[in-house]
Amino acid sequence: MSTAAQEFLRKAVIKSADLEHRATIQRAVTSYDAAVAKGKLRFADWEAARTLCAAIKADAIANLAQYLTEFEQHVTSRGGHVHWAENAEQANDYVVEVAKARNVKTVVKSKSMVTEEIHLAAALQKIGVTVWETDLGEFIVQLRNEPPYHIVTPAMHLSRYQIADLFRDKLGENVEDADPVRLVAAARVALRRAFFSAEMGISGANFLVADSGMVAISTNEGNGRLTTSIPRIHVVVTGIEKIIPRMSDLAALWPVLATSGTGQPITTYSTLVRGPRTASEPDGPEEFHVVLVDNGRTGLLANPETEEVLKCIRCGACLNICPIFKQVGGHTYGTIYPGPIGSIYTPRTAGLSEWGHLSYACSLCTACKGVCPVKIDLPKQLLGTRRDFIAAGNVKPAERVGFAAFRWAAADPARFRLLAWMGRKALAAVNALGLSGTALDPMRVWTKYRSPMTLPKQSFREWWRENGNK
Amino acid sequence: MNRKVALFVPCFIDQALPQAAIDTVTVLRRVGWDVIFPEDQTCCGQPGFNTGHWETALPCAERFVRVFSDYEYIVCPSGSCTSMVRKHYPELLASSPSHDEAVAVGKRVYEFAEFLVRIAGVTDVGASFPHSVAYHPSCHATRELGIYAEPLELLRAVRDIDLRPLPNEAECCGFGGMFSTKFGMISAAMGDTKAVNIELSGAEFVTAIDPSCLMHLSGVFGATGRKSKTIYLAGVLASSSAATAGARE
Amino acid sequence: METSKSSARENILARIRAANARPHPAPPPVAPLDAIFPPITNPRQRFLDECAGNLTEVFQTTDAAASAEALETILSTVPAGQVYVQDDASLFPFVALLEQWRRVRMSSQGAPAESTQATLTLAHGFVAQTGSVLTSSACGGRGASIVPPCHIVYGRGEQIVPNIAAALARVQAEIPGASYVGLITGSSRTADIEKILVQGAHGPRRLVIILEG
Repeated sequence: MSTAAQEFLRKAVIKSADLEHRATIQRAVTSYDAAVAKGKLRFADWEAARTLCAAIKADAIANLAQYLTEFEQHVTSRGGHVHWAENAEQANDYVVEVAKARNVKTVVKSKSMVTEEIHLAAALQKIGVTVWETDLGEFIVQLRNEPPYHIVTPAMHLSRYQIADLFRDKLGENVEDADPVRLVAAARVALRRAFFSAEMGISGANFLVADSGMVAISTNEGNGRLTTSIPRIHVVVTGIEKIIPRMSDLAALWPVLATSGTGQPITTYSTLVRGPRTASEPDGPEEFHVVLVDNGRTGLLANPETEEVLKCIRCGACLNICPIFKQVGGHTYGTIYPGPIGSIYTPRTAGLSEWGHLSYACSLCTACKGVCPVKIDLPKQLLGTRRDFIAAGNVKPAERVGFAAFRWAAADPARFRLLAWMGRKALAAVNALGLSGTALDPMRVWTKYRSPMTLPKQSFREWWRENGNK
Repeated sequence: MNRKVALFVPCFIDQALPQAAIDTVTVLRRVGWDVIFPEDQTCCGQPGFNTGHWETALPCAERFVRVFSDYEYIVCPSGSCTSMVRKHYPELLASSPSHDEAVAVGKRVYEFAEFLVRIAGVTDVGASFPHSVAYHPSCHATRELGIYAEPLELLRAVRDIDLRPLPNEAECCGFGGMFSTKFGMISAAMGDTKAVNIELSGAEFVTAIDPSCLMHLSGVFGATGRKSKTIYLAGVLASSSAATAGARE
Repeated sequence: METSKSSARENILARIRAANARPHPAPPPVAPLDAIFPPITNPRQRFLDECAGNLTEVFQTTDAAASAEALETILSTVPAGQVYVQDDASLFPFVALLEQWRRVRMSSQGAPAESTQATLTLAHGFVAQTGSVLTSSACGGRGASIVPPCHIVYGRGEQIVPNIAAALARVQAEIPGASYVGLITGSSRTADIEKILVQGAHGPRRLVIILEG
């Protein structure tokens, strides 16, 4: 078992027993579910919206080279810089170089999962740059020195009291009664200073628009706007799969992303950035850089089976419906992307043997498939990941023996009856010896968490032979 | 002359929960169908398929197709095993010579409740079950096969039954096959969440068209000292008087 | 650096092109947008309803005089401090008014100060579907719509377009030069703390529209 798998199990044990955590997540998800149900009513045909968005993203991925080069050409024609990075190191090196060359001391960041993926903040901090996360949820987890809990709501696991304590400790701000309005105001004041002193703003991208070379950034707080308006340098760090063909595609994607993400009709600030400020504009960054990050995405593309995974628009809907995510929470996975999408994406890009266990941390309930706004067949991807995990030789000896025995037995009904009969007799012996539920119980994996099953006196086959034809 | 139906008994029901299959036979006969049990059957291959051991699942599937190729109607007391045959055999057998036959067999395999309502055309099977019951819509059956209305129609026709809505009914109970043992702690937590909702419904029994879910929930109830009981749908439908009611799986 | 930059680009594109070369299944038929969203029969009413829902304040006025009165009313609820105005001729009548009560900074003078209490700008349109304001850096720059606690937009009823699709078409046709375009829907907000909606995160707490005609 890989280290990551052991860690996952260790954390899962703790979180599964944590009823307070379970209640916190349940409250957040109930609120989300109600908002999304309301949001879907704004559509005459939600299913048609999903089909359309799936088609837009499928087209984008199937013609990725063409759209990316079209996008690049527009951006560079307006004085922006486009840098292609095959991996995290190349992406970080570029941003660090720009920061060094332009004497950047402070960076403000709006939310970008890709920057977490490549650990950009750490690379900048290493050269002495202060990095401020400006999305409130990201700001909170940054202060706590922990990774985001969820790709859309990073601090979903915390209560207002925990956040108040945090602000008191780290910001010296004492908010009475942990009033959320005052907490937000305290964060606003702290981050204001950062926005107005930073030399560089780093953002992600929700979409890259090929036909006009625009970078679409959606936020509710306005931190994305400030990050990309005040500092003199704007750097966009984005996965290559964020491309969409046309600006008009946003008429579907913006409402669908907002509905699946938070239940809103559209996020408050839906922005399109064309490049650095023009000569006639009173403000805005003088420099504009777009870093296109591969980091394993072309690997997903190369495999026809996994290509559809690149359609993901990072809405978080699959996390919110996943019954496993709702029990163990976002920190248990040990990955940047948790939940169903993360359980496919991580093994496929960061190592099948190390991370394949995540694809098994799923009861195959298939609820995720029904909510994905771009219709990725997540259960099929999970099953395929499991198949490839086994094909790569990642089988525990006991499991290998078990399945070999099963294959042998299932090939012939007489063998099947024999093996089953032997199993039942062995189990009856274990029970008779009082070993049920102990470490010697072969059914321990079952009885550790459940009361033991009563063994029937006869199998169905045996009953049928005696009584079936009466 | 009665019509005939072949019984596909999932391996774990055969060995651990035979009453589910016995009650299925009882009900099918009561509504006028003759039941054949092809003894050659072993396993549909779902355990291997779901755990990534497709090389184990493939021969099971090919054998299944052979064993059941001659039957016009095949009934299975399990939503997940029915779904394996109908929805997943085409992919598993994509390169197999049995592929086309598998697709054809898939069209003739029915989950028990689906069969009663859509093929046998009955909703009232003459059952009586004077208890409060909540219906748990198991995942594969509801989402992969689209079976939701049929079990409820059958339950509503049961005399003296008190059907209770189940809060958050669509949430997985946590069984998930091998998931239940590979990630037992999460499985149990999901079962516990479901158990809380069952208690909130006020129902004495929970029923479903997947005995595996019920087997898992029964274990969770036992481990957490809950009073709720499980009963497979055919167990409810086979009941014809209060005297025969009990916690049968 | 140039060499490695271009080789990364070539490597990535080569991998993508190899994958894109294989045949892809035809996508399923898609519905047009007007089948996906319900038709909007009364855009103005829909716009007003959406604004009420997303907490955008709307002052409906009949003429320039009424608009000036509305501006005075709005300013009376804005704390003392500088007002930043988009340097556009159609806003000059308001500037004269504002200078009676406040220090005014025009966008042609540069970026808005951090302590600006309110900005006054035009817009490219208003979107009925979502109750949004279509703005760009041509409306007084980027900071004008995000720095101050109160953003006031002056526009006309005839600028209302039915939906996002129409707004995006307008962007492509009419705002070719601006470096920054955006749809603003309501005030800045966050639900990052216990999923409780709080208004006024980093952007303006108040978005106010003077809708004339």
